[in-house]
Amino acid sequence: MIVVLWSIRRVLAALVTLAGVSVLIFASVRLMPGDYTDLVLGPLATEAQRALAVAASGLDLPIPEQYLRWIGGVLTGDLGYSFVSNVSVTEEFAARLPVTATIAALTVVVTLLVGIPLGFVSALRAEGSAGAVGRFVSALGISVPEFLLAGLLVFAVSTLGLGISVGQYSSFAEDPGRFFGSLVLPIVVLSVGCVAVVARNTRDAVLNVLVEPHVQASVARGETPMFIIRHHVLRNAAVPILTIVGALVAVLLGGTVIVEFVFNVPGMGSYLQTALGRRDYNIIQNAVLLAAAVFIVTALVVDLVSNAIDPRLRLTGGSRR
Amino acid sequence: MTITPTTTQRLVTARDRTFGAWRRVDGLARLATIVLGALVLLTVVAVLTGVFGSTSATIGGRFAPPSPLAPLGTDNLGRSFLPRLFEGIATTLVVSIVAVLCSAAISTLIGMIAGYYGGAVSELVMRIVDVLYAFPALVLAILVSALLGPGRPAAIVSIVAITIPLMTRVVRVATRTVAERDFVVSARISGVRTPVIFARRLLPNIAGTVVVQASYALSVAILVEGGLSFLGFGVQVPEASLGLLIQQGMLAMTFAPHLLIVPGAVLVVAILCINLIGDSLRDRLEPRETRSLT
Amino acid sequence: MRTRTTAGAAITAIALLALTGCTGASGPAPAATSEEVAPGFLAVADDTAPAGGELVVQVDYDTAEAGGLDPQSAATARSWMLEGLVYETLTTIDENLAVAPGLAASWETPSDTQYVFTLADDAVFSNGRPMTAADVVGSLQRLRDTPVTWTGQLGPIVSIEATGDLEVTVTLSEPYTPFLAALANTPAAILPMAEIEAGTVDITTEMLGTGPLVASAHRQDEQWTFVPNEHHPDAASLGFSTLTVDIVGDEATRAAALRDGSADLAILNSTDSASLLSGAADVRVATQRNTDFHYLMINSIGGDPALADEKVRFALNSAIDRDAINALVFGGSTAVTGVTPAGLPDSCDPSELASSARDVAAAKSAIDAVGGLDLNLLVYTDEPVLAQIAQVIQQNLAEIGVTVSIEQVDYATYSGKVYADPSDFDLALSWFAGYADPAMVTTWWNPTLAGFSSVYMTGSSDLNAAIATGASTPAGEERATALAEVCDLADRQSEMVPLVLRPSTIGWNTAELSPTLTADEGYGNVLRHITEFRVG
Repeated sequence: MIVVLWSIRRVLAALVTLAGVSVLIFASVRLMPGDYTDLVLGPLATEAQRALAVAASGLDLPIPEQYLRWIGGVLTGDLGYSFVSNVSVTEEFAARLPVTATIAALTVVVTLLVGIPLGFVSALRAEGSAGAVGRFVSALGISVPEFLLAGLLVFAVSTLGLGISVGQYSSFAEDPGRFFGSLVLPIVVLSVGCVAVVARNTRDAVLNVLVEPHVQASVARGETPMFIIRHHVLRNAAVPILTIVGALVAVLLGGTVIVEFVFNVPGMGSYLQTALGRRDYNIIQNAVLLAAAVFIVTALVVDLVSNAIDPRLRLTGGSRR
Repeated sequence: MTITPTTTQRLVTARDRTFGAWRRVDGLARLATIVLGALVLLTVVAVLTGVFGSTSATIGGRFAPPSPLAPLGTDNLGRSFLPRLFEGIATTLVVSIVAVLCSAAISTLIGMIAGYYGGAVSELVMRIVDVLYAFPALVLAILVSALLGPGRPAAIVSIVAITIPLMTRVVRVATRTVAERDFVVSARISGVRTPVIFARRLLPNIAGTVVVQASYALSVAILVEGGLSFLGFGVQVPEASLGLLIQQGMLAMTFAPHLLIVPGAVLVVAILCINLIGDSLRDRLEPRETRSLT
Repeated sequence: MRTRTTAGAAITAIALLALTGCTGASGPAPAATSEEVAPGFLAVADDTAPAGGELVVQVDYDTAEAGGLDPQSAATARSWMLEGLVYETLTTIDENLAVAPGLAASWETPSDTQYVFTLADDAVFSNGRPMTAADVVGSLQRLRDTPVTWTGQLGPIVSIEATGDLEVTVTLSEPYTPFLAALANTPAAILPMAEIEAGTVDITTEMLGTGPLVASAHRQDEQWTFVPNEHHPDAASLGFSTLTVDIVGDEATRAAALRDGSADLAILNSTDSASLLSGAADVRVATQRNTDFHYLMINSIGGDPALADEKVRFALNSAIDRDAINALVFGGSTAVTGVTPAGLPDSCDPSELASSARDVAAAKSAIDAVGGLDLNLLVYTDEPVLAQIAQVIQQNLAEIGVTVSIEQVDYATYSGKVYADPSDFDLALSWFAGYADPAMVTTWWNPTLAGFSSVYMTGSSDLNAAIATGASTPAGEERATALAEVCDLADRQSEMVPLVLRPSTIGWNTAELSPTLTADEGYGNVLRHITEFRVG
């Protein structure tokens, strides 16, 4: 019962947050100087052309009405049209979302496969020079900026001719091989940072458990390390690891702009950035709303799963966050 | 609670009081502090005295190799690169530090309010903060840049907006833990005014958490500033920041690699040092036993 | 611990020093060349080279026009180039920027206001229907019925009539020298009027032309795919099977594609890209002169009040060191220009302009007289070269006591400040396309004709008169004098100040592609001679 009430409260909070995001993005894009008619028509356009463009895009309606039309559309599944290409937003997203989603998904897979074991090993060998090296390397991983790594990789790959070319994107339907090939480099760049973050957090989570009295008691009783890991560490460390992975998923889905730009992959990030420059309101608003929704849903799922794993959180009335 | 477990007790000497803290920091963090300190000192000297030359005067041909007049060669407009490098470091550090200080101040205040009062106040604060948190970070930065006009103020405001959510959450959790303790409860019951409770009881106990989070926020701030400048939304020409220098360096990679490697290396080293120092601070100020599980 | 620490610090310091010492090459390799392999050509396709492969071209941005794919409302060079692959024009320009036959095989001028065009008999739309005089008449008439920017460039047309199966007569109200050159640009292309009027094709979403290629796919901002138009006379001899145009925003990425061979040709935006690619085997980078040029706007209406004074504006103008701009920003690869693009016949000589004397002392005293100036200079981010030009201008103006702060904003913001009424800027940088006739771009110096410039410049009646004279005088000595007058007046009034020509930088893979590229171009159409390209 507590769980149900708690879940409902969290869902309501999520909806409120989403509404807040929608208002914020709606207002900010309209506050940005210039609009798409300036941009796309340019200075050499005639008044008639301008008036036509404004009417076609619905920008002459009163602001609250524009907001309600947009939200109403979102709730019924009609996301409107792009000012620039005149294609429906849903169609544009359908073409680009799979790319970003694939990059995010594969990055998460790599991160889990590499980062968590690294974190465990690093925690179990936390002392001495091995520990220092481990800390150094994982700190290095989160210290290298994405754009630097991406730019260097583009150059290195094209000079060394490793068989991967940059910018050779092909949709999955057309050529699966090229599709995945073009995503390798972005995934590598993103994974470096993500693996480092997950490894660090895993190490911390495991070490936190290892110093707990019940684990120390377990050691005193003479249990084997494998037993301790299986029975004490895994379940207790799972929650913080889950939390950080959830945060990563959300960040990846909203923050791949730089790698998409440098590696010329047509995903949501670069599309949103282009739309921002063009003041293509429908694209911007819906993309941001989508990213926020994904983030909020992910956080919600992580919370629910954390709750299931760690009953203590339930008793305190919610996640410790 | 900051009780550091000691295995043996010994006499605390005067020397311990001065150097004790330094001694207890491990080798890696010490190295990081020295390197970072040297970098900052060198930058301050370079920028304040201008001993390496002008950052804006054209003194030679484009991409000239290093010479006595230009120890790191010239850039794409014939300006000496070395003073521009220091200007870049200074700009990046100043923007990031200012942003983190503002962010820490704001987060601490609203985090304490949310954690102390709980209930509806907490919900309201957290919802507002969550709206910022749910926004894709780079989009937020680009929006701020478009609204305020690109440059330092926009970079600072963007970083503040991006780092407030996480710090507020951490401060709120920490405050809640401390607020339940007896000495706070008793203060409230005996009628101590709230601001005094905040300043005298809560703040000192969460200060460690705030400092640790601020150090991580600083590394995030530098990365964000770099990314913004790289995409063109941050610091503007002819000023320099590390992100901007790296972007310009990429276009000269084959024939003047030092224009990319040097700012890149400095950026990585700076962030690395800050992260290592942050790790060490956390070990000192938030020993494992007292860290919350999440 | 202590020894490890000091050793570590020492190693770090040495490493940093080593990195700074590791400077490798001594400056960039020679910049892009503009060597001509034949008079007027940077490259000529080799007939014996292998053909039939897939041609891959990378460009920096896509068409994004309010009128969709309708060529008549196309306003940017990229749109002209991409749509020009599918549509053709009555006239075209050759390697010397002189007018040559296109869809009009020949023409006569019985009087200086009448043109009689004899149309080619082998022009066929890609749907199989041969082009007729009605299509030509309808297309030109459509430009007049729904005025777009290009309508003004065509001049004072009175009537357009089909006077034969393959003959069209156009009558002007007064002589207009640039007429034939204006017909050579994509907005004046011949459209399938029969289908448009019947409503069977919507040319804002679908391109249907007589050109050598047909667009088979388009993903906005990502990629175009073109296949040959089977009905085109050159279809049989086309040197490639398909054309893919990739839109790649990052310059370094385009250079990388040339380096690893995944692109056959790429449009680059920086002369330094040539140096970036100097080590790459089989890549040649060349600079193509254009008639396009950069200019500085000095806002006499909405800017700092001191700018309303012509003496102050002229002081700013004369302080600018155009040669430094050429040397520092373009590596010396371009040329200084006046209002009429340097290099076109009858264009004025920029070295004879009043400002070229660069009397810095006089300029300084003019600025001192108003007590110094603090101005902002707007540039937009889509063209990084503008920021570099801005930095040079900032240095130049600092010498005469003017403090300039550069503001780099995105194009929508820039547009909102520069072209809004009232305008909100002191100085701004941009560029004009120079087209193929020197009188065409001069139109923009008449705020009434231009429209967009009326928010920041007042112009003058004598300048307007000179512009009109320049447009109506036939080519020759007299015209050169008239245009010199335009340049001189515009220079003294210093409201829109021409700087340097804006070249195109083209890179291509010499092992895969044998292209034909002219050394000069008037409409930014790098792919003008695409029918001669051969790809193995």
